[in-house]
Amino acid sequence: MFTLVFIFSSIIASAQKFTVSGTIKDKKSGEALIGATLVVVNDPTIGVVTNEYGYYSLTLPKGDYKLLFRYVSYNMQEIPVTLDKNTKLDIIAEPEDRQLKEVVVSSKLSNVRNAQMGMTKLNVQEMKALPVLFGERDVMKIVQLLPGVESAGDGNSGFYVRGGAVDQNLILLDEAIVYNPSHLLGFFSTFNSDALKDVTLYKGTAPAQFGGRLSSVMDVKMNDGNDKEYHVSGGIGLISSKLAVEGPIVKDKGSFLISGRRTYADIFLGLSPDTNINRSRLYFYDLNTKFNYKLSDKDRLFLSGYFGKDQLGLGSVFGINWGNATGTLRWNHLISPKLFSNTSLIFSDYNYNINVNNSGFSAKIHSEIRDWNLKEELDYFSNPKNTIRVGFSSIYHTITPGTITGANITTVGKPDNHTWENGIYISNAWKPNSRWNIDYGIRLSIFTVFGGSEMYELDAKGAIKDTLKYGKSDVVKNYINPEPRFSASYTLNENSSLKAAYTRNTQSLHLISNSTSSNPTDKWVATNNIIKPEIADLGSLGYFRNFKNNMYELSVEGYYKYSQNQIDYKDGANVLNNDAIEPKLLFGQGRAYGLEFSAHKTQGKFTGWISYTLSKTETQINGINNNQWYNARQDRTHNLSVVAVYEVNKKWTLSSSFVYYTGDAVSFPSGKYNINNQTVFYYTERNGYRMPSYNRLDFGATRQLAHRKHFTSEISFSVYNAYGQQNPYIITFQDDPNDASKTQALQTALFRFVPSVSYNFKF
Amino acid sequence: MKRNHIIYIVAIASFIFPSCQKVIHIDLNSADPKYVVEGNISNQAGPQTIKLSKTVSFESSNVFPAVSGALVTVTDATAGITDTLQEGAAGYYTTISMTGVPGHTYQLYVKSDSKVFTSTCTMPLPVTLDSLYISKSVFGNTRGAIVYTDPAVTGNYYYFAEYKNSVLTNNVYIRSDELRNGQVIDQVLSRGGGESELKTGDYLTIAMQCIDSAMYQYYFTLQQTKNQNAATPSNPQSNIVGGALGYFSAHTVSSKSVLVN
Repeated sequence: MFTLVFIFSSIIASAQKFTVSGTIKDKKSGEALIGATLVVVNDPTIGVVTNEYGYYSLTLPKGDYKLLFRYVSYNMQEIPVTLDKNTKLDIIAEPEDRQLKEVVVSSKLSNVRNAQMGMTKLNVQEMKALPVLFGERDVMKIVQLLPGVESAGDGNSGFYVRGGAVDQNLILLDEAIVYNPSHLLGFFSTFNSDALKDVTLYKGTAPAQFGGRLSSVMDVKMNDGNDKEYHVSGGIGLISSKLAVEGPIVKDKGSFLISGRRTYADIFLGLSPDTNINRSRLYFYDLNTKFNYKLSDKDRLFLSGYFGKDQLGLGSVFGINWGNATGTLRWNHLISPKLFSNTSLIFSDYNYNINVNNSGFSAKIHSEIRDWNLKEELDYFSNPKNTIRVGFSSIYHTITPGTITGANITTVGKPDNHTWENGIYISNAWKPNSRWNIDYGIRLSIFTVFGGSEMYELDAKGAIKDTLKYGKSDVVKNYINPEPRFSASYTLNENSSLKAAYTRNTQSLHLISNSTSSNPTDKWVATNNIIKPEIADLGSLGYFRNFKNNMYELSVEGYYKYSQNQIDYKDGANVLNNDAIEPKLLFGQGRAYGLEFSAHKTQGKFTGWISYTLSKTETQINGINNNQWYNARQDRTHNLSVVAVYEVNKKWTLSSSFVYYTGDAVSFPSGKYNINNQTVFYYTERNGYRMPSYNRLDFGATRQLAHRKHFTSEISFSVYNAYGQQNPYIITFQDDPNDASKTQALQTALFRFVPSVSYNFKF
Repeated sequence: MKRNHIIYIVAIASFIFPSCQKVIHIDLNSADPKYVVEGNISNQAGPQTIKLSKTVSFESSNVFPAVSGALVTVTDATAGITDTLQEGAAGYYTTISMTGVPGHTYQLYVKSDSKVFTSTCTMPLPVTLDSLYISKSVFGNTRGAIVYTDPAVTGNYYYFAEYKNSVLTNNVYIRSDELRNGQVIDQVLSRGGGESELKTGDYLTIAMQCIDSAMYQYYFTLQQTKNQNAATPSNPQSNIVGGALGYFSAHTVSSKSVLVN
C-alpha cells in the first residue's frame, strides 16, 4: 500500500509538461537498442533508458534541450529538441567503426549511477573475441566468467549464481522459459549466439517483472532481423556449422531472421573402428526464427520461435532424443507517448523420448513439460524522476512424468500434473534527486496446484500413508507469496557510488536430478501439497568506483542469502524411476554469503576484467549429516576469472581467459567392506570432501580476412585448456587392477589442449 | 543406464579429443569400523551361511576383519523353528539343519559385543530358470542371456548371481516384473555395473534368485553405490535393523551353466 501511495503521489507531481518519445535503432540493421541512454546535456542527472523494445519517453518542462545519446560501441550523438508540444523523435544510432573498442561485458549505463545491483549485460556481437571450446561461441560459458557466477564444471553448461543450484536460474529466450538450456549432455548451450541480440544476467536481484527462480535470471533476447537489407551470415567450425538469413519483409516496416545450426561430430564417429562408436548417432540442431512487423506507428507485432533437438543413439537398439521448443507472439502498443504496453502469448516445451529395442523387448519412454503463458506489461514513463512498470504473468504448466509404453509391456505412467503460476507486480524506477536512484516494487506470486495427478499423505517417517483423491479441476492448494524487491544507489561523487538491495524470490518448479552431469532425463517437479515453494531472501551491498573517465571500473559487492524449503534426497534415493518422489525427499534451509570483487578495463587496445568471489554455501536438512549444516555441492570458497582481449591491429585480435575455482563439495567413501565377493565403498557423510581445485587457461585469436562493404569474413583460432590441466570430471574408487589387495581413486578428465578453428562470414 | 551414460559421454568425448584417466591420491577419513552382515537363506540344501565382518579404511589392504564369537540365530517364523548357528571359519556362521521353504518368513538375530542386529525376510515362491545361452549386449559385449517365465501375479523380483569359472563376479544383475508381468522373458543380462567380462573358454553359471522387494531395493541401491555417478552417493538400503551394512536374504535358487565359445 505504501508503495502505491508513493507511486501515485509522484504521478500527480508531474503535470504540465511535454513528452519526447520514440525508438532508438541501429542505422545499418534497424535493430532496436535495449538499455541505451539519453540524458539532458545541461543536467546529466535527467535521463532515460530504452526498454526491451528500444522505446524511450522523457517528459520535461517546455523548452529547448540537447539530448546526449550513449550506447556501448555506438557513436555518441547530441540531438537538439524543442519541446513545445509532445514530440516523436526516433533516433538512428551509428555503430562505431572500431571493432572492439569496449569490452564484452558492460553495464551500459555507467555502472556507478545505475540503481540495479548484481546485473550484467553481455554484448553478444563483441563476444567473438573470446576463446571458445570446439569453435562454438557460447553465452552460457561467458556468463560463467562473471563475478558471483560459477561454472558447474567441464562438459556442463549449468552455472551456479551466488550459491544457488543449477535449477535456480530462470533462463528466458524472448520471454519463454528454456527448461534444459544444454545440448550434447551439457557440452553446449541451446543459445546460438548468431541469433542473439542481448543477454542480461540478474544475480538474484531481478526487478519485479521476473519471478519463479531463486538465484538468477538470464534474460536472452533474439535479434529482430534487419529491416533495411538482406544479409546472410554463417560460420563453419570443427564440429558444427551455422547459417543465418535476415532481411526486410517490407522495408523499414518489418523484418525476419532465420538462423540454424547443426553439429556433424557423428560423421567422424562413423570413421571409428570401434563398433560401439561407429554405430552411434550423436548430433544436435537448432533453429531460431523471428518475424516482426510494424502495423502502425503505435503497434508492432513480433513472432519468435526456437526449436532444438538432440539425438543420441546406438544403431537401432537404443536411442534418446530431447529438445526445447518455444514460441512467443508479442504485441507492442503505444497507448500514449508515456504509456507503453507489451502483451505476450508464450509457449514453451521441453520433452525427451527414449527408445529401447533389444532382444525381443521394445519400449518407449516419453516425458514432457509444457507451458502456456499470457503476459501483460505496462511501462509508464511518468516523468524524468519516475518510470513505473505494472504487469502480470499467468503460466499454466503441464508436466507429463516419464510414461513407459511398448509392445508386450505393461504401460507405466502417471496422470499429467497441472499447475498454474500467476504473478502480478508493480515497480517504480525513482530518481528523487541527483544522488539517489531507487528501484522498488513488489511481486505477488500465486501458485495453484490442481488435482488429477497423484497426491500423497506422508507419515512421520516420510512413508506414504494415504493417496489423496482430487478431481482434475479441484484446487489442492494455493501458495501466495509477496516478494518485495528493492534496489538503490547513492552517488558519492562523479566516480563512485554505494548500492544496496533486498530481494525475495520464490520458486515453485524444482529440478530433480541426482547426477553429476546435466542429464536430459532430469525431471522437473511442481510444488504440491508436500513440496513447498522454495523461498530466498537476498540482501546485498556494494561499492562502485570508476577511474580515468570510466576507463576502469571497480566494484565490490557482498551478499547474504537465506533460503527456505530447500530440497535434498534421502540416502540411496532412486529419483529417476516412476515411484512417488515425495517419500524420497527431505526439506530444509540454506544459507550463502560471499564477497565479489571485479575490475574491468573498458577502453583502449587492451581490455578485459578480473573477477574474484569468496563465498560459502551451506545447507541444513533434518535427516542428513545428523541435522548439522553441511557444504552444498556448489560451495566454492574461491572463484577467479581473468579475461584479457588485445587488439593488435585492425586485422588481429588476441584473447585469453583463465579460470580457477575450489572443487565442489562431494561425498567420497570413508571406508570399504566386502560383500558378495566384491569391494563396496562405505559412505559416512554427505559432501564431506572436495574435488581437487579447477584451473584452466584458454587462448584465442581472430583475424579479419575481408572487410568490404558487402562482405566481411574472419577466421578464429582457439585453444581450450592450453596447458593441459587434468581437471577432474569425475573421481571413482575401485579395486586396483594390478593389485587385488588394494583400492585406488581414479580421476577422469575430459578436455585438454582442445584446438579449434572456425570461419565466419557475412554478406 | 546411468553408468552407461557416463561411459558413453566419456567414450565420445575421448574419441573427439583424448580424455585421460589417472590414479590420484585423496586423503580419505577412516570411519569407525562398522559391522557388515551377508546373510543368505535359500531353498537349496544347507548349510545356510551368515557371514559377519567389519569395514576397514580406504587406505588399508583388502583384508576385512571377520567378526568371531557372535551369537547368531535364524528363526523360521512360519514353522516356529529356531536354529543357533555354529561358527566354522572365522566370521562364517552356518545352520545345522535348516533348509529354506518358499513362502516362509525368516528372522535373523545377531549379537556381538553388546550390539544387536535383526532382520526379517520372506522367501518368495520359486521361478525356474529355463535356459541360459551366450549373446551380445547392446554395447557389443559378450554376456549371458536368460530365459524364464514370470508368474501371473505381480511383485516378482530377481537377482542373477553371475559366476565366472565358479567365482562370483562383481556384476549385479536384477530384474523386476514391473514392465513385463507374466511374460516369457528372454533377455541379455546387461547393466551389471561390474567390470567382469566374458571370453571364450569361460564357464558361466547363473544362479537366478527370487528375492523380495526389500532385497530388490538393496541390490538396486547397491548398483547405485557401485556406479558412483550420483551427486549424492550413499550406502545401499539395508534390511538389517540396528545399524549394520549388508543384507539378510531369503530366496529361492534356480541355476544353469554354459561354456562360452
